[in-house]
Amino acid sequence: MSFNLQIISPDESVFDEEIEMVIIPGTEGDIGVLSNHMPLITSLRLGNIYIYKDKKIIKKFLVNGGILEVFENRCTLLTEDISDSESKVISNDDELSKRKTEIASKQFYT
Amino acid sequence: MPSLKDLRNRIGSVKSTKKITSAMKMVAAAKLKRAQDNAEKTRPYALKMHEIVESLTSSGVAQVKKFGERNKEKKNILLIICSADRGLCGGFNGSIIKYTKKLSAELSKNSNLSYIFVGKKAYQTLKRKYEASIVEFFTDIANPSIKFELSSSVRDLVLELFLSNKIDECHLIYTEFKSAISQTVKSHKLLPIDNSGEIKKTKTYEFEPSEENVLNEIIPRNIAIQIHSGLLENLASEQGSRMTAMDNATRNANDMIDNLTLLYNRSRQALITSELIEIISGAEAV
Repeated sequence: MSFNLQIISPDESVFDEEIEMVIIPGTEGDIGVLSNHMPLITSLRLGNIYIYKDKKIIKKFLVNGGILEVFENRCTLLTEDISDSESKVISNDDELSKRKTEIASKQFYT
Repeated sequence: MPSLKDLRNRIGSVKSTKKITSAMKMVAAAKLKRAQDNAEKTRPYALKMHEIVESLTSSGVAQVKKFGERNKEKKNILLIICSADRGLCGGFNGSIIKYTKKLSAELSKNSNLSYIFVGKKAYQTLKRKYEASIVEFFTDIANPSIKFELSSSVRDLVLELFLSNKIDECHLIYTEFKSAISQTVKSHKLLPIDNSGEIKKTKTYEFEPSEENVLNEIIPRNIAIQIHSGLLENLASEQGSRMTAMDNATRNANDMIDNLTLLYNRSRQALITSELIEIISGAEAV
């Protein structure tokens, strides 16, 4: 069973595909969303997003805050600060970029 | 009657002005395309954000106390004025300034006003008039394109002022882009959040952490994106306005060149004729 995940930033649509599962870093803890999830709105913290298809992680993003909305098998993630986990962290804020690099290198789920 | 040399010089200078205006028109057209593309890219984010906020505030479950209306007799109102950094764009900056003056005169009757300027032109004109009440001024906004960081820093400033009770209301003044030839100045209320609208339960969501926390998280984001799309639209309007202005200037230059060339040819012919008459009458006299 698959559902649609859309990740939108103010500058562009980052991701828009049919996927099986996504794990996102909610402010209260990580949330895994499968298809037919109940309507949900939650805020995000700094952390990794794992996107699953065919039981494998196909994409990993690093996100810093945002909003996730799940409604009728459509999952929309709005964030101002998102980057590919593989890409190098560029930031003026040293403390933040250090934490970002640290988190991006970690792999909590497989 | 100007001499032939004068006319030649004038035609030359009008021609070179025409070259500049037509080049500016092309540049503005290219920039307009880019500005429109950028505005288009932000739209899905802004729409979705609006949708979520709308469904939250209209469901009535979450009351936005923190960002809500304040009952005061004399309100402190903040105006964010978006203008261009450069001139030569027709009546674009002029109409923003005119609108600001009119709105300020209206509002200042029963409230205290303060201003944030984004873009140099309106600031330059209005800084004397409103000197005491200018909070902040941002320039060099679209170099090469409007960054989201700019909008977030404006948002941070606005929220800081609002939450420390220095302001009770905030309006964004920008130019709405309809087409390359038609733009209108608009004012859009950012704060306080209006939750007086009718309550309709459309979608029932589960919230994590709580409704209020989520809402407090969403609203600053929503304000930032509203400022951002306002700025993008303003930039598109600026380029559109410049394109039209430069198009008009080029056409005027063409008309002028035509007229001057006609005048030049006439006076040249008149000179030749009178020279001929002189020669003939001279020959007859001999």
